Amino acid sequence: MVSAEHKIEDSRTKVTQRSVWYKIKRLCQRYPLGAIGSFIVFIVVFAAVFADVVAPYDPTQTNAKMSLSAPSAAMLFGGDMMGRDVLSRIIHGARISLAVGIGSTVLGGLLGTIIGLMCGYFLGWFDLIIQRIIDMMQALPLLVMALVMAASLGPSLENTIIAISIPLVPQVARVIRSNVLSLREMPFVEAARSVGMSNGRIAFRHILPNTLAPLIVLGTAQLGSAILTEASLSFLGLGVPEPYPSWGRMLSESAAEYVRVAPWLVIFPGIAISAAVFGANLMGDAVRDYLDPRNQG
Amino acid sequence: MKMNFLKLFATAAVIAGTIGGTSIAFAEKSGGILKFYHRGTPPSGSIHEEATSSTVVPYMSVFNNLVMFDQAKPVNSIETIVPDLATSWEWGNDKSKLTFKLRKGVKFHDGKPFTAKDVACTWNLILGKSKAKLRKNPRKSWYKNLASVETNGDYEVTFNLKRRQPAFLMLLASGYSPVYPCHVPPKKMRTKPIGTGPFKFVSLKQNEHVKFKKNDDYWKKGRPLLDGHEWTIIKSRSTRVLGLIAGKFDMSFAGDISIPIYKDLAKQAPHMVCEKHATNVSTNLIVNQFKAPFDNADIRKAMVLTIDRAAFNKILGHNEFIMGGSMLPPPHGVWGMPPEVLKNVAGYHPDVAANRAEAQKIMKKLGYGPDNPLKIKVATRNIAIYRDPAVLLIDHLKEIYIEGELDTVETSNWHAKVARKDYQVGLNLTGIGVDEPDAMFYENYACGSQRNYTGYCKEEMMALFEKQSMMDDGPERLKLVYEIDKKLQEDAARPIIAHNVRYNCFQPFVKGFKTMTNSLYNGWRFEDIYLDK
Amino acid sequence: MSAYVIQRVLLMFLTLLGMSVIIFVLLRLVPGNIVDIMFDSAGFVDPSEKATIEKELGLDLPIYQQYFDWITALLVGDLGFSFVSEMPAIDEIGPRIPITAKLAALSLFFSILFGLPLGVISAVRQNTALDYVLRIISLSGLSLPSFWLALLILMACVSYMGAIPIYTETPETLWDELLLYLLPSAAVGFRASALIMRLTRSSMLEVMRQDYIRTAMSKGATENAINYKHALRNAVLPVTTIIGIEAAFLIGGLIITETVFNIPGVAHFLVEAILMRDYPIVQSLVMFIAIIVVVINFLTDLAYAILDPRIRYS
Repeated sequence: MVSAEHKIEDSRTKVTQRSVWYKIKRLCQRYPLGAIGSFIVFIVVFAAVFADVVAPYDPTQTNAKMSLSAPSAAMLFGGDMMGRDVLSRIIHGARISLAVGIGSTVLGGLLGTIIGLMCGYFLGWFDLIIQRIIDMMQALPLLVMALVMAASLGPSLENTIIAISIPLVPQVARVIRSNVLSLREMPFVEAARSVGMSNGRIAFRHILPNTLAPLIVLGTAQLGSAILTEASLSFLGLGVPEPYPSWGRMLSESAAEYVRVAPWLVIFPGIAISAAVFGANLMGDAVRDYLDPRNQG
Repeated sequence: MKMNFLKLFATAAVIAGTIGGTSIAFAEKSGGILKFYHRGTPPSGSIHEEATSSTVVPYMSVFNNLVMFDQAKPVNSIETIVPDLATSWEWGNDKSKLTFKLRKGVKFHDGKPFTAKDVACTWNLILGKSKAKLRKNPRKSWYKNLASVETNGDYEVTFNLKRRQPAFLMLLASGYSPVYPCHVPPKKMRTKPIGTGPFKFVSLKQNEHVKFKKNDDYWKKGRPLLDGHEWTIIKSRSTRVLGLIAGKFDMSFAGDISIPIYKDLAKQAPHMVCEKHATNVSTNLIVNQFKAPFDNADIRKAMVLTIDRAAFNKILGHNEFIMGGSMLPPPHGVWGMPPEVLKNVAGYHPDVAANRAEAQKIMKKLGYGPDNPLKIKVATRNIAIYRDPAVLLIDHLKEIYIEGELDTVETSNWHAKVARKDYQVGLNLTGIGVDEPDAMFYENYACGSQRNYTGYCKEEMMALFEKQSMMDDGPERLKLVYEIDKKLQEDAARPIIAHNVRYNCFQPFVKGFKTMTNSLYNGWRFEDIYLDK
Repeated sequence: MSAYVIQRVLLMFLTLLGMSVIIFVLLRLVPGNIVDIMFDSAGFVDPSEKATIEKELGLDLPIYQQYFDWITALLVGDLGFSFVSEMPAIDEIGPRIPITAKLAALSLFFSILFGLPLGVISAVRQNTALDYVLRIISLSGLSLPSFWLALLILMACVSYMGAIPIYTETPETLWDELLLYLLPSAAVGFRASALIMRLTRSSMLEVMRQDYIRTAMSKGATENAINYKHALRNAVLPVTTIIGIEAAFLIGGLIITETVFNIPGVAHFLVEAILMRDYPIVQSLVMFIAIIVVVINFLTDLAYAILDPRIRYS
């Protein structure tokens, strides 16, 4: 283990002198799984950004002739019940999945981090009150909370993002807080305190970087799980409503209904969701390894 | 599959030949539990308070009617009505008075005897004349013409009508017209219903099951043949169909097997008997005539013209749906306009391109065009059978410069929203309990009816409804019904897109059952069913 | 320590009280009330009949009055009547709890059985081929939509075995019961074990890098001793949090799985009740779940205090 760290330091000094491409190449060699994950995420982002250009058809255009048609040269991933092109819908669906995934993770993660850091750091009455609120929020499991929220807010993209992000807040806050709790007793924080660093500085210079690893692991897992929760809400009939071609909805009721007649309706969106979540998770792992403060010596 | 269908038809014909049936040509077997799946928990067990197959299909066998539709004949009509709790009936006073002689020695499941008083109580409950009250009363509009119910002794009862109505008997034959016991309060009927029927209610567990067991004291000798019937509630359609394929169930739930699923079943479980039937549920457009610009008849006409019914049929019905007006056309139904009449109705001409060109002209005249589309919201329930046609509708409206955005409404809000007239254009499904113009017109197109979602109300049409209602069945009434239906379609009162077709599938050992083709609500008495294992 | 426990118990009640208010208000924000839904099966809404039913159910009272009535009844153990079935709520909920509890226990058992050891192995053998394979398996477990997985399992069962493991009636023997719960709990447990494995691994790695492990190493402790004695003990800390959270989180997975496999458990019932706005059922159930979660959280925090002597409570 010690020798491995020396190697990293060696490679780091070299990297600074080489081109960006060389950096990327080295990173890919060091984190092959991360590279694969990043590539998948890149494809999803690319599809979302350039959906209008990339998609062969209008994702909402119905076509009686292609209803439930099997994958063919005309429609690579086949057609759905309405004769809409499944491939085009998956490409456009990347927008919704990304919006839900990133939107809710950022929203939930940000709130959760702030609350968690503050609680873990300040403890005392502040922690007590916030902890009670968090306990209340957390006393309901993610999907139950999202279900109640989705039911009370009504189905729409924004509401789905909010509904999925809110249950994340206590989860993030709790794990961050528990990390802070053990970190604040660590020798390096005690050392920082003993040399008279201010609380804010300690939080930002020492605690925050050190909680970054679990935060990113959590954040990326939740980026994926947000996409999955959206799919689950759609499956239960409370997700992003129909005009948007969301993967979750494609997989939900109407597709599940034709699972045996037209398996491509279930297989391709299912693969799209799994791949996107898988990619996000792989990338998250690599990013965590890379950002780990102890890796930087 | 076809062979099976024919064979079953023959069986049905034989059974039909021996009504009251103690001697039947085939060897009947007693015993066994018939296993169904159910798509969702029935809202209650009280048939008079509900208007859904979820309740009437499993619970119909708890009760008897005064009269019923012959359970072995696929098409309900006035000719297929047979005695049930009434042994005979007689019209009086130029068909404005209907007297029934009642069966003696019939007992309710709790042992109390059935008398004329129970009949009077039941319809007084619907008329709101009794002390006990129904919570919901969905079939009030059926009995608008019923003045009073009179008992003459314990075994005779008379229905006094306000005016002549020969089709009144049709309404009484529906599965929606059971006789309730006088001595059981409505609340108990919702949770633990008691009737005189061949099966007793055993238990209902939400999301789990509904169970019924044989009534050993049933008044019909030798019936029922089954020991009971049980329904496993499965919300997910793919799961329950997989269960059917795997042989966990003996029969599908009424109207559950759509055409694409039937095609899969025919491949995966070719031994299964599947009977094609219309559900008498139509997919239709509701247009809010009180909201601008839809108060303009021209826009409504353009909307009717742009509908490509063939495309709907191809996608949703694999070309097996039935085109028609509000009434279901033959051979499945009795009163609907046949193709030769239908083709003269505006909007039904098969040349969609020509229809749309005309519609575009109308829209352009009103100032809309490709650069200036009319933006609307198309409301529909957030259920696949509503959502799918709504998506198609939006696509068809695009052709005539109407940009529709889908507004999916949760089931919980749908009826309230529609009742408030809080919509512009909606996509709706309409089902009727009996294939009878009186039921259809008074429920859906009459002024003041609760289920008249569009608020369509015209004096001249009301007069026509009454005129046909007073006529005896026959070619003249049929002609008038065609005429009314044509007017309703051309007025775009509630443009019908298609009549839905489904399959009812069961295991080959289920005998003595016939799927009715013009109603989803009247063929579930189950007393003649047996398992030939 | 005992002062801390007493304080926590009191706070638990406070949390639950707050929870009861939140859920009560949240439910009543949901558009469309139970009576509208009741009328759905009648195909129309009749304003006067609607008003009568609302009065009958006590929905016409002011909201604080409704809350007060509910909470006082709840405190004496009266859960009220289901709006939908008109049966006592306790009779609707009670029989469903053991079903879900068994499913959850089996899933949790699977997830810890596989997740914890595989996570440790993965961390100890970091960056070997074994580690890569295990990581890919755990990641795919987190990536598959659970209802997709459940649906694929069902389809495979029908295609290859001609049978379908859906709950149709109460199983008679223990063996039948186990068979019935096996596939659903495996579907739920797969995801849960992936999560536990991932967390165990990263937590292990984290701890293995820390100074005191390095110190132990420099003192000449053997690698295995370090891994299992020092590292695992400290790595277990965040993992307990996750197992605690996971126990509650399982409800989410169970909602989907119970729906797909048609198991009449309490999770599936909750969704139905939410969709039907069956307030007495939803309120009772949510409070029940909240009590379980709060108790688990409390126990997790206690475990913290015992496992990590460096955490001090004042």
